[in-house]
Amino acid sequence: MSHEVVAALELSLLVAAVSIVVVGPPAIALGYVMARHAFPGRDLLAALLGLPLVLPPTAIGLLLLRLFGARGPLGRDTLGIDLGFLLTWRGAVAACSVMALPLVVRTARVTFEGVDPRLEAMARTLGHGAVATFGLFTLPLAARGLVAAAILGFTRAVGEFGATVMVAGNIPGRTRTLASGIYAAQQAGREREATVLVVVAIAVGLVAIFASERLTRSAPRRGRG
Amino acid sequence: MLRVDVQLELSSFPLEVAVLADRRVTGIFGPSGAGKTSLLEVVIGLRRDARGSVEAFGSTWLDSAGSIFVPPEERGIGYVPQEGLLFPHLDVRGNLLAGARSRARRVAGADAAELTRVCALLEIDTLLDRPVSTLSAGQRQRVALARAVCSRPRLLVLDEPLASLELPLRRRILPFLRRLRDELDLPILYVSHEPLEIQALADEVIVLRQGRVVAQGPPARVLADPEVFALSPDEEYENVLAAVAGEAEDGEGRAVELAPGVRLRVPAFAGATGSTVLVSIPAQQVLLAVESPRSLSAQNVLPAVVRDVRPAGALRLVASELRPGGAELVAEVTPRACVDLDLRAGREVFMIVKQTGCRVYAPSSDAPSSAPMS
Repeated sequence: MSHEVVAALELSLLVAAVSIVVVGPPAIALGYVMARHAFPGRDLLAALLGLPLVLPPTAIGLLLLRLFGARGPLGRDTLGIDLGFLLTWRGAVAACSVMALPLVVRTARVTFEGVDPRLEAMARTLGHGAVATFGLFTLPLAARGLVAAAILGFTRAVGEFGATVMVAGNIPGRTRTLASGIYAAQQAGREREATVLVVVAIAVGLVAIFASERLTRSAPRRGRG
Repeated sequence: MLRVDVQLELSSFPLEVAVLADRRVTGIFGPSGAGKTSLLEVVIGLRRDARGSVEAFGSTWLDSAGSIFVPPEERGIGYVPQEGLLFPHLDVRGNLLAGARSRARRVAGADAAELTRVCALLEIDTLLDRPVSTLSAGQRQRVALARAVCSRPRLLVLDEPLASLELPLRRRILPFLRRLRDELDLPILYVSHEPLEIQALADEVIVLRQGRVVAQGPPARVLADPEVFALSPDEEYENVLAAVAGEAEDGEGRAVELAPGVRLRVPAFAGATGSTVLVSIPAQQVLLAVESPRSLSAQNVLPAVVRDVRPAGALRLVASELRPGGAELVAEVTPRACVDLDLRAGREVFMIVKQTGCRVYAPSSDAPSSAPMS
């Protein structure tokens, strides 16, 4: 593999991994709250969280540009410091995180809905407070589903193109990922490089799918307790 | 020990209960959907929407007027629901420790010895390393009981712990419950829609119907009330008597002693001589005679004195004390028989019970026939 291909693969994996670390905790919190509590505005929140799934990724990219642009709410002029999101790998992480969040929240929510709330009530009667119950019982009971959610978010981040290109650009060796690399190679007529990148992307995807399948299929039987 | 005065809106009727439960084992009896589980959930602290007050062991668990709500983890209740609700991600030992560990921080001396003792009592010591998915239904319920006891509770709350089990299994687990009751110094709330379980375990019974308490008192008396036993699934009265097992015999039967000098022949069962067993006899299965009958196929002819005669719908329940004393048996007869035999308090009678009309509940571990039912 050429140096460019390796660099693109490394960056894609790094960006996806960091995105999942960033997205994980809020997605778990949101998924749990939405699974367990009916509150005013829950449906509206679910709709807003679902937007990145239905909007063109370039629209999300543009919104992020406005957010991080010099005069945006999180821009250099407003905050007084440069957060360094534009045209950097951090920008790619921001774009991928926003794009992956809805998928991870959804999967986490469904997973938590599959955890019998009576088991949580049982843990409470056994002397565990609400926080300990979540940490010692809810999370372990949901573990497989949450890992599957993380894998799903990871693959979404690896494949992200539109929003990432808007925010981070497509700079070889700096912000060029597998996805943007395929586009760039094809545009420049480097067919061989484009093919290699596609093969690498297929390999990454297959590994993720197998891992996810394994986890969901051997999930423990629930409900009978 | 426990004073409950609560109101709670349920889907079909309001739950309005004001009771004092101060006996060691309080049974809560009522048909399905009477509000029994909802009442328990208020006591346990799983229903925040209840109005009123719950006081236990000198402290207030709920006072909606004063905005007091003690969360379930601070009430110290060992809870066993109908389905057991074992944690599927833990093995048996993990389940038992799930309760033991959390309270160990607060109760000094929660230790391995207690765990060992409870496991021996419920005969689950060989199951400790098994995943819960491999347990049979009866084993699951015993592990759920052990988990509740190992959490070192101040109160044990059992919600229909036998209802999800097949009848033969119920007959084997019931004696374990009696063993727990006798070996542990713990107050127990026992919910059931089976009069037999209440009679076998409870010192006092509270009868719930459509969210209201309709009777409270000693089980043998309250459950023999026609209004009450009409709420039971079979709508008939069943005698439940504690007995001491006699020596095992080769034949098809075995003798038990209901009280000093009162012997009863029952179907053969496994159990050591001198161990306590429960015998249940439907009131329908008991015949009355005013003279000692001879040449009878029935194995038991017991002299007795009628204590009282109560109407039970179109029939009569005749409660009599067996001679020489210490045990009571209820027979169901027609009003005509009451007149013909002149049945009234003080009348000397003979109670006739077929050996095969008796059912014995003796403690025994899972027989080979108890295949896993998961």
